Amino acid sequence: MKRYLRELIQYRDLLVNLTLTELKLRYRNSVLGFLWTILNPLFYLLVLAFVFSRIIKFEVPNYTIFLFAGLASWLMIQQTVTIATASIVNNQALIRRVYVPKMVFPLSNVFSRYVDHAILILVLFGFMAVFKAAFTWSLLFVPVAIVLHFFFSWGLSLITTVAHIRIRDVQHVVAILFQILFYATPVIYPLDVLPLRYRPFLLWNPFYYFVECFRFPVFHSSLPPGRLVLTALALTVVTFAVGFILFYKKEKFFVFHLS
Amino acid sequence: MEKTLIKTESAGVKYFLNYEEGAAAAPRGTIRTLLERKKRKEFWALRDVSLEIRSGEIFGVIGSNGAGKSTLLKAVAGIIPVTEGEISVDGTIAPLIELGAAFNQELTGAENIYLSGSIYRIPRKTIRENFDKIVDFSGLRRFIHTPVKNYSSGMFIRLAFSIVIFFKPDVVLIDEVFSVGDAVFQQRSFEKMLFFKERGAAIVLVTHDLNLISQICGRALVLSRGKASFLGKAEEAINHYLKLIKSREGLEEDARRPEPVAVAAAEDSRRWGTRKVEIVGVDFVDEKGNRKNVFATGDYFEARLSYVSHEAGVKAVFGAAFNTIYKMLIYGPNTLESDFPDSLPERGTVRFVVPRLPLFEGDYLFSASVYDPGLTVAYDHHEMMYFFRVVSRGGRDFGCVRIDSRWEIVSG
Repeated sequence: MKRYLRELIQYRDLLVNLTLTELKLRYRNSVLGFLWTILNPLFYLLVLAFVFSRIIKFEVPNYTIFLFAGLASWLMIQQTVTIATASIVNNQALIRRVYVPKMVFPLSNVFSRYVDHAILILVLFGFMAVFKAAFTWSLLFVPVAIVLHFFFSWGLSLITTVAHIRIRDVQHVVAILFQILFYATPVIYPLDVLPLRYRPFLLWNPFYYFVECFRFPVFHSSLPPGRLVLTALALTVVTFAVGFILFYKKEKFFVFHLS
Repeated sequence: MEKTLIKTESAGVKYFLNYEEGAAAAPRGTIRTLLERKKRKEFWALRDVSLEIRSGEIFGVIGSNGAGKSTLLKAVAGIIPVTEGEISVDGTIAPLIELGAAFNQELTGAENIYLSGSIYRIPRKTIRENFDKIVDFSGLRRFIHTPVKNYSSGMFIRLAFSIVIFFKPDVVLIDEVFSVGDAVFQQRSFEKMLFFKERGAAIVLVTHDLNLISQICGRALVLSRGKASFLGKAEEAINHYLKLIKSREGLEEDARRPEPVAVAAAEDSRRWGTRKVEIVGVDFVDEKGNRKNVFATGDYFEARLSYVSHEAGVKAVFGAAFNTIYKMLIYGPNTLESDFPDSLPERGTVRFVVPRLPLFEGDYLFSASVYDPGLTVAYDHHEMMYFFRVVSRGGRDFGCVRIDSRWEIVSG
């Protein structure tokens, strides 16, 4: 394991190059280029904000910030995992011909996504200023929440990546599951619009803890309750450990499943 | 200085055949393939190979198709894990297995130089310092900011090779690299290889070109069906290999055995057609009808193409072709040029006879095919799937084919 980590560090240039390549290529030949990174989620946000604050009215003050915070947290996990799931299969030509530690592929995907997410969160801060949300010391918890999101989504990506190599349906299944989970997670609606009898189910939804961890400092201007943070932390540690060890044990054999 | 750089101890690689079959037979992921996963065949592509290769050594690996040469190289490169035994490599590896594999099609040449560099673990600084030299060596300065997807295959390889040259590998693995590119490129790669050797690198060379092995390799390994059949001086290894392919066993291995797993994709790309008429076997024989695949220049040569027609009275054209191992076409005749019956018996053997083989010493690839009379629909095409060797009878001329000619002098 120690050797594995040392090797990953030796390949850091490759990691950086792959991440930059992905960022660079995504919008090459497009007029607005990198702006799309922000524009895409922003339009999504505006549509949702319009629908749920004007048409279906939730009793939430400053709904836009509420929604933006939830969406930022959600996208950090959903986009990262959806994209990274295919990372090994998308690079199979390379993997079959040159030796590189396979971890660089999902990890570079995760990195490039978090560059996007970081930009989006900066825009969120801009929105907070515009909508006169409170800037408090509790915002210092935001980086901690991002780190939790990072390791959780990385770990989850590793699990789906390994599964996707064996069965190529996994990527589609993951996409569908995320669509369902989006509505099962309090991203667009506040927790209290949910009838009481459904609320216990939320406790089984891991994404709930991450959304809340992120939303508390941004929207409620307070630190999230310790119970929430600890659950999110436990989920992160377990998911990451399982994903990392699974990937580490299996990566030698990926080549047999690629063509 | 004479350090052991590559060491393998009873290394073996086992494949499960149906990983590939499953993909070909049914779309991956159907319930059926899931259920059938259990029925998988084991196949040892490499077994019990023990070697030590030292610095400053050029080590040859020879063997028929599917003998495990590429598997050995990929196992040494760390691309394929060994199932049993151990392989250890000391130092940086330059795998010249498929040049340009590290490229991203969408990126420009310049961007790809940095990307490939990091794949081979060349420090960014080294690349930056050598960037101009790399570009100059490749001769692609005008196109260096063009995406490589717009490059010709020659440009592609030139750039890939130029990158590897400027990084100082301890171990160089070469799999038929000399079979790509033009003569100048081949010469350059050859020189570069000797240069690497001088610098104390260990070089492993896989090739069908026995001349090249005898010219530059000190020792060589003969692989046969995944096992080390001989390990020792290059000359002796070549003799051993020739004996092996002259014997029926060797021949069988060459022409008969379907390529296993790792090359299964290549197998498809070498054979295509509707199979309306199917070529079921190709044998090389001498005038007495004895099967062999080593001939001498000037010998009687005959290729027998056994076929089965799946429809009665089909009209078809048979073709044959000789290629050098560099895949250059030497000659490709077909039955349109001769008196050949219009419709075929349902099964039979087509004999392609060369009364006196004009080829010189070397290894050759042979293609056999059957097409419709308009030569537009391939019934069954076997592209360079067969291999034979020509040994010399002496003589003072050079080349790969003897052209009927004479010299004259006119005074004044």
